[in-house]
Amino acid sequence: MHFDLSILLPHLGFLARGAELTAAACALSLAGSVVLGALVAIARTSASALLRRIAFVYVDLFRNVPFIVQLFFFYYGLPEFGIYIDAFTTGVVALSIAGGAYASDTIRAGILAIDQGIIEAAEVSGLSRRKIFTRIVLPIALRTSVRPLGSVLINMILTSSILSTITLNELTGSAQIVVSQTYRPFEVYVVLLCAYAALTYLVSLAVTLLHRHLNRDMMEAVG
Amino acid sequence: MLKVENVRKAYGEVTVLDGVDLAIAPGEVVSILGSSGSGKSTLIRCINGLERLNAGRITVDDFDVSKPKELAEARKRSGTVFQLFNLYPHMSVLKNITLAPIEVLKTARPEAEAIARKLLESVGLADRADAYPAQLSGGQRQRVGICRALAMQPRYLLLDEVTSALDPEMTAEVLAILAKLAAQGTTMLFVTHEIEFAREISDRIVFLDKGRLVVDLPTDRFFAADGGRAQPRVAQFLSRMRKD
Amino acid sequence: MRFSDFTSYDLILLAQGLGTNIALFLVTSLIGLLIGLSWALVRFYRVPVLAQIVTFLSELLKNSPVLVQLFLVFFGLPALLHIRVTPVTAATITLSANTAAFVYVIAVSAIEAIEREQVEAARVFGLTRWQVLRHIVAPQAAAFAVGPLVALMVNQLQVTSLISVIGVVDLTKIGHILNMRTLKPFVVWTAVGLLYYGAAKLVALLGERLETRLRAHSAWRGL
Repeated sequence: MHFDLSILLPHLGFLARGAELTAAACALSLAGSVVLGALVAIARTSASALLRRIAFVYVDLFRNVPFIVQLFFFYYGLPEFGIYIDAFTTGVVALSIAGGAYASDTIRAGILAIDQGIIEAAEVSGLSRRKIFTRIVLPIALRTSVRPLGSVLINMILTSSILSTITLNELTGSAQIVVSQTYRPFEVYVVLLCAYAALTYLVSLAVTLLHRHLNRDMMEAVG
Repeated sequence: MLKVENVRKAYGEVTVLDGVDLAIAPGEVVSILGSSGSGKSTLIRCINGLERLNAGRITVDDFDVSKPKELAEARKRSGTVFQLFNLYPHMSVLKNITLAPIEVLKTARPEAEAIARKLLESVGLADRADAYPAQLSGGQRQRVGICRALAMQPRYLLLDEVTSALDPEMTAEVLAILAKLAAQGTTMLFVTHEIEFAREISDRIVFLDKGRLVVDLPTDRFFAADGGRAQPRVAQFLSRMRKD
Repeated sequence: MRFSDFTSYDLILLAQGLGTNIALFLVTSLIGLLIGLSWALVRFYRVPVLAQIVTFLSELLKNSPVLVQLFLVFFGLPALLHIRVTPVTAATITLSANTAAFVYVIAVSAIEAIEREQVEAARVFGLTRWQVLRHIVAPQAAAFAVGPLVALMVNQLQVTSLISVIGVVDLTKIGHILNMRTLKPFVVWTAVGLLYYGAAKLVALLGERLETRLRAHSAWRGL
């Protein structure tokens, strides 16, 4: 039995670049998920029964099919239709679509939790439906959704490891390469495991701080 | 003129407004009294378009609230103050007041803010312009609500039980402001339980009972034994309210 | 290389693949449930040192990617301990441990949802910790835990798709094989996706039935 972490030292730079790729993919996918999630949340609360159905089917489908299958569907399937995009972009697209399904649920909950009276006040003052949505509903819903969206982000960071299966050299992919060079899978994967755990811990701390900051004006003063 | 003509409103089997007729001329202060469930709040919600009519017509300066294109114009001419304030929690007091003028009336921001600050001053909240609703007391929030409605320079101010959620001290501060507005000639239609207050500042009092407009008289006539009080329901209501 | 079209035998292949996923899902869920519950017991009895270890392990497993956990067990352990591990064994160990971590968290929060006063009252009456657990905590905790557990199960079924990456011939692997042979990725991955979707829905449905059964049972008891 032989456990030696020092063999990883020369490869830290390479691993760091992999981590950067993970961060980039997740940041872009988070943005994509929030945008898509907001659109789908709007569709699910819309007056049109067709829009509601489509939105429901989308959420249901992408929450009940394994991510790796979704990823392969895009990576191998899109070229069949003549759409050629690189692994990074495919990964971001797949993560955004999958993340959007979860994000839409949390944003929808945030929208439904808004006091009806506030919407009524906005309506009677003559604001258009679109203005009410962009200036009142969404800002309030997003503020209350920060924590659940943080969970979506954490989940996304863990799921991004699956992008290594489409030859993307994000953190997990880079680690696999390091293993093939050092022949020390145990050390590499233990460190990788701890790296992800540490990363998600930091993100959850950041999310708590963000939630507090955004909601500071909306918290009732004591007394 | 704000005209309510033969308005009927029902929720399923329950009729809440049963053929109500009412007309308010600019400058009038009219109070709507009645027991709970008599349809008072519903009437206000029909006038500002939050509820749809089943029958009848409501026009605000000849704009029909049942016609979607005219509703926007009607809403520009009326302002509503709510029982539960309904301030936008994520915006400062100043933003709450200037949002509609900027977005709907297309007023320039500096001008809208100047108007807002003047309004805040008139209600004694000039120093709270940058505070957020969560940091204010109930009475303060309602005063902001009044400013928010007035910022749109409405011709008709609709007030839906605006002091019912306040304690006696805050109620007094808000009523003082409403009295001032009435004295300045603001056209007001209010739903209230504050009978003494209604008696003091209203030109006319209207009594709703089970969705029907039973009495519509100038204030002193309303409280006279041979006027409004001659109606049994009114007498019953007034004596019950006096008991507390 | 000869490319061929789909044959009816392919349906059997797909079914076998799904069967592998389901079999692994059932086995690892059972083992994970038992381990997770025993960890919750450790926490309930506040066993020193062990309780902390168990919490740490659970956090680590919950906040790191399953793929990396699979690599650690399949590639890392053999290198460290100089043993042979088959893909199926590695998959079983990894998924059981991963499920256990989530079961632990669900069990702990279900137990904590029961008002402390009830437990205190029981202790004051002289009941031992075990009796309190058996008669007061466990039945109510079980009622609270069913919903989250069903959601966990649906998720873990999808997680089994990752075992294809370490070589287990499951539905995803079959998808790869069919794709290689027919070069029709769109059809193949759609079929694979729909099969996983169907399985997930089935688990969700059975879970719902179980939930209503349990709820009816406890409602009758006047809980």
